[in-house]
Amino acid sequence: MAAVAVVVFLGALGAIAFEWAHRTKIALLGAAVVVLVGILEEEQAIEAVDWSTLGLLVGMMIIVGLTERTGVFTYLALRVAQLSRGHTVRLIFLLSGVTGLLSAFLDNLTAILLVVPITLLLADLLRISPIPLVLVEVLASNIGGTATLIGDPPNIMIGTARPELSFLDFIVNLAPVAIFTLLVVTSGLALFYRRQLRIEPERAMEVERLDAAADMREAPYVKRSLAVLLGTIVGFFLHAPLHLEPAVVALVGATVMLLVAADDVEDALERVEWATIFFFIGLFVMVGGLEEQGVIDRVAEGFADLTGGSRSLEALVILWGSAAGSAVVDNIPFTAAMIPVVDSLQADGFDDAAWWALALGACFGGNATIIAAAANVAASGVLERSGKPISFLGFLRVGLPVTAVSLLIATLYLLIFQL
Amino acid sequence: MSTLHDIALVDGSVDVSATFAEAAAALSASRLAALAVVDEGRVVGLFTDEELLLGISPRYLDELRHTAFLETELPSLRERARDVREEPVRKHMRRPITIELEGSSMHAAERFVHCDEGALPVVDDHDRFVGMLSRTEFAHALLKRLSEGA
Repeated sequence: MAAVAVVVFLGALGAIAFEWAHRTKIALLGAAVVVLVGILEEEQAIEAVDWSTLGLLVGMMIIVGLTERTGVFTYLALRVAQLSRGHTVRLIFLLSGVTGLLSAFLDNLTAILLVVPITLLLADLLRISPIPLVLVEVLASNIGGTATLIGDPPNIMIGTARPELSFLDFIVNLAPVAIFTLLVVTSGLALFYRRQLRIEPERAMEVERLDAAADMREAPYVKRSLAVLLGTIVGFFLHAPLHLEPAVVALVGATVMLLVAADDVEDALERVEWATIFFFIGLFVMVGGLEEQGVIDRVAEGFADLTGGSRSLEALVILWGSAAGSAVVDNIPFTAAMIPVVDSLQADGFDDAAWWALALGACFGGNATIIAAAANVAASGVLERSGKPISFLGFLRVGLPVTAVSLLIATLYLLIFQL
Repeated sequence: MSTLHDIALVDGSVDVSATFAEAAAALSASRLAALAVVDEGRVVGLFTDEELLLGISPRYLDELRHTAFLETELPSLRERARDVREEPVRKHMRRPITIELEGSSMHAAERFVHCDEGALPVVDDHDRFVGMLSRTEFAHALLKRLSEGA
């Protein structure tokens, strides 16, 4: 039965990587097989689902979905373009910074879906190619998302799987290295793209004349929505002393948002990306099957043999291995499978360095290929629908060096500060 | 409830070989919200005012939700309108929803309530295109029929 569980999981990963069908369909099919062939009992399958991760995702999707109506994210993107005053390097740094910040406090997939459409419009107004700008945003979103517990799906899964790691722990241990990496990567990208993106002064003037706040004046519940969003972020900072799970903070925030800033609850709930939620459910059941059949323990044993019990080597193998795994498949299923492996390695005692290595590897590894992270897939989808598709190799050419640089920084960081 | 035989249909169709510009001109001349795209008498698609608007707009427009700040025409608008003219209409049509000529008016009403299109193609028993039925005309005809019957 263990072999069947492995075949189902690897088959699903392959099918997702080659896009044979929508990833949600594949994950649900894998979960169905896990239950139907008896790898997991029905009750075990339900227990395998990490409801806290789902609660956190649903809560944030409602909060951000309703805040999006206010036009505040369009305002931010427009102000960035206006403040750059036609300087390419400044535009790249500002776009990268705003996307990184939004990713850290909303989540990177949401941030990308908010900023990419308006970037296409800005590029049109400035008469420059949108592809370099979107690439900068995608890369910045994966790095910025690394900084917090809610910033990137791998971190959400790690944070909910290990309650010992609070929102503040993530910030203290990951935000400095994420910010430093973002600065280094953005500098490289600015150098690389500065000649490609020449903005004519009169185009920049046109953008500067735009009334960036026009949409916010038309939108309903602007102040209330922003207050709830900010309140929820403050709630995340305080969740540990308040003894509340991050999922509870997000769901309470979403409930308050529904009460004070949503006229139609059905419309508000449509903002939840149910395909993503069901993708996670299918994934958790498949990984539950691997755990139940002892596959995870065997992988962990092999891993421990490989590293000879060395704490430093273990963390570095987790870092680079997670990045490689995420690049080939997708950092969400890879992290889902790695969490019980890291857990199993820590039978002798909790060691947070291994978790930071997993977070850095999976999140930074998300930049390597176009399929490595949900944000990349979403951005390439928007680009394709807009008639400006980016190829797998086109992404790889920029993504792979960025990932290599990011992982080198992460390696130094782990060696100097964590190991 | 009777069938659609007594309700006026309009001959609003373009051949599948038409270009976007030809379809756009035909749609405008028909004063309908949608045209049937027809291949040898069978409806293979619908070309609606939405396809027309999206066809001449920058493709990212569909992804945007906030544009109140825009005061001038977008630079890509003219380029897009120029490029799209000679594209085949089949690239811009949507999957058709049809109404059967022999079906009940109530069934037609249900179709109109549950779809976005302002006009739908009517087909006969052999699935051949008979004409376009506009939502407004249909509603008026239904109202008239019910008032006369009352």
